[in-house]
Amino acid sequence: MAHIIGGIGASHAPSMEHVYDAGAEVRESDEWAPLFGPFQEVSEWLGAIKPDRLVVVYNDHMDAFFLDAYPTFALGVAETYPIADEGFGARPFPPIAGDAALGWHIARSLVADEFDITICQELEVDHGVISPLPMVDFSEGDSDWKIPIVPLAVNVILHPLPTPRRCYKLGQALRRAILSYPEDLRVVVAGTGGLSHQLTGTAFGAVREEWDKEFMRLLAEEPETLCDYTHEQLIKLGGTESVEVVNWLAMRGALPATARPIVEAYYAHRIMGYGLAAYDAAGSPA
Amino acid sequence: MPTTPETSELSADYLRRLAAVQPSDLPPELDLFDESTARRGIRLNKAAYSLKDAHQRDLFAKDEEAWMEQFGLTDGEREQIRARDWIGLWRGGMSIYVMVKLSGVTNTPLPEIGRQMRESG
Repeated sequence: MAHIIGGIGASHAPSMEHVYDAGAEVRESDEWAPLFGPFQEVSEWLGAIKPDRLVVVYNDHMDAFFLDAYPTFALGVAETYPIADEGFGARPFPPIAGDAALGWHIARSLVADEFDITICQELEVDHGVISPLPMVDFSEGDSDWKIPIVPLAVNVILHPLPTPRRCYKLGQALRRAILSYPEDLRVVVAGTGGLSHQLTGTAFGAVREEWDKEFMRLLAEEPETLCDYTHEQLIKLGGTESVEVVNWLAMRGALPATARPIVEAYYAHRIMGYGLAAYDAAGSPA
Repeated sequence: MPTTPETSELSADYLRRLAAVQPSDLPPELDLFDESTARRGIRLNKAAYSLKDAHQRDLFAKDEEAWMEQFGLTDGEREQIRARDWIGLWRGGMSIYVMVKLSGVTNTPLPEIGRQMRESG
């Protein structure tokens, strides 16, 4: 039987890719150490607990999915996930290994649980996955990824969006899917996106540090409270694009209520409220 | 809504959820990409989305007018693209996520789009 041994909430942003790709000196600079230092802690934690799989709840940014047919929830069931070309040429990373058998099991379990996802045998992943992933899961020495993934994309772009409560319940259904998988795998569930940011209009660049920190506290201590927020409230609190935080809520739903963060970091910088949280779930009763 | 045998099936909880799914009380600086934007921006979004493809980026660089010809854009939309009128494109329904792809082929840094956005009020 598979187990969930941890969770990660992490912002995603092209800026994180630019900094990562610029090399260790930039990552460790005074400007970026407040973000990349905590990522290093999470990387070391993952190195110690050695998960067999990462399930990544994220959102695409019109790189795999387009407005002709936009899926509300879309699950990868592929053996490999190529890196998307977002309009500038794809970043020079190898495709990320998947686990088709686990993906298909999750698909069956979610449908049994009345989450009728779009099932993707081919899926290119964009910065929703690969802006935070190299910081915690890429071996620069081996030039390869370490942990196979199962990606699960949530529509946070084209309203109407799935509600925060629905995304939390998706996480709870994901938990059942993993716990019912017969293979003895140790799984970490990640949710990427947010925190506060606003990319259009006169409020472009607005960051809401106070709310972001309160969101991270509520996620740890009272995730059910966050389920009662509407998208309108989230947008007023954190900006139009901050609704990506529902991906963190899905991650939290997959963890035991008693799980608590062992790494928590927040860095408001330029146009982003960057958040990072790692939850240990290995010893927590459900 | 008048009460009829049919509407009485619609519980208060359902009606509350239906109202909440479409944000309706946002200040003008917090816009949404929703039915109105999606319908308005369908041509512009299709055009900018095409730039994921390197061949489309090459065509844009070589012959911008020929590139635009593919998407049934209106005269006004073509003029907004020619003028790099980011605010006009945004008001025309272009999603920020495909606008970023157009910013790439036009060598426009995001902070410049941000500056125009902030000054658009």
